[in-house]
Amino acid sequence: MGRLADTGVPDELLAQACAGDATAREAIYGALAPATLTLIRRMVGQRALAEDIFQDTMMTLYERLPQFRREAPLGAWLRRIAISRCLMYLRSPWRRLRLRLEHEDAALALIETSRAPAAQGGEWIDLERALATLAPTARAVVWMYEVEGYSHEEIARSFGRSVSFSKSQLARAHARLRAWLEPREGQSCTLI
Amino acid sequence: MHPDLDPRRVASLLRELPDRSARPYGFAEFERRCRARARATRIAASAWALAALMIAAGLLALGVRLGTQAASSRAHRAAFDAPAPGVEPAGEAPAALLRARVMEHWLASLPSEPAVVRVGTRAAVTRLEDRIAQVDDLLSAARAERAAPARLTALQQERTRLVGTLVQVRYAETLADESR
Repeated sequence: MGRLADTGVPDELLAQACAGDATAREAIYGALAPATLTLIRRMVGQRALAEDIFQDTMMTLYERLPQFRREAPLGAWLRRIAISRCLMYLRSPWRRLRLRLEHEDAALALIETSRAPAAQGGEWIDLERALATLAPTARAVVWMYEVEGYSHEEIARSFGRSVSFSKSQLARAHARLRAWLEPREGQSCTLI
Repeated sequence: MHPDLDPRRVASLLRELPDRSARPYGFAEFERRCRARARATRIAASAWALAALMIAAGLLALGVRLGTQAASSRAHRAAFDAPAPGVEPAGEAPAALLRARVMEHWLASLPSEPAVVRVGTRAAVTRLEDRIAQVDDLLSAARAERAAPARLTALQQERTRLVGTLVQVRYAETLADESR
């Protein structure tokens, strides 16, 4: 299976889902939900919050399905909805503060428990752990820039900030990820 | 573990991460959560509506209370500003009427008895007050009998003259008190 943005569904299935067919809606859910939740988790970190945003995203998808014009794969459309929902959370000062406090607790716990080398898929697991230690905004910026292909201008616009904000967040995220991924014996971790 | 990590390598590692690693809950659970959210939204909407209703009721009660107070204050002021009994504004020139009101207002602000009572002055004041009361009675009777406007005007002018005299006497009395 490809990435979320490349995932499409047959037109017939879409038409049935638009007509309210539960089986078609379930099939669409099965095709898109795992990649959607993965994307949201990478953007916001916490599982509970990610599930909340995921629920919102999927509900929005079904509500707006009749407006889908099929100019791109359905996955690309859903990805846009998911990212915009994540950004809504990340932009809200109240939620950002909550996320930051919870992130610090979670990251500290992670640092305590994950020093042992990963047994399987070591590189990926290391990187997932490293991502989890980033601050929510830095994580979202690095993910949007490096994986989703957003430009600094687009990221700056999404956060309502300047281009230099996006660049500095990216640089700090990279430094943090490198510090985490390089051999860390005798080094102390500091949170961004 | 990762000896040569430059930003490009980190970016490439990020892109290689599996994009379906999270396991979402099933479709049945998704639908259950949709229903729960719809219910929560309805409850929240009802709570907001109730809160708005209570605030509106509170504001209405406050408005009614303030309105009653304002009406009472207006009535009080109207009573204070009203002409003295028997005074008929019709037939009196506005300037004269205004002068009479100012004089009566000033008289009303004086204590009923001066600090030092002088027999002569007190007798004059009493005589003037009695005369004003008589003119007031005559004015009331004339209004009740629907007397000619000329008669009403004459009585009103007589009353204004008496009030003016009373003001002069009381003013002199006040000056005498202050100079002691």
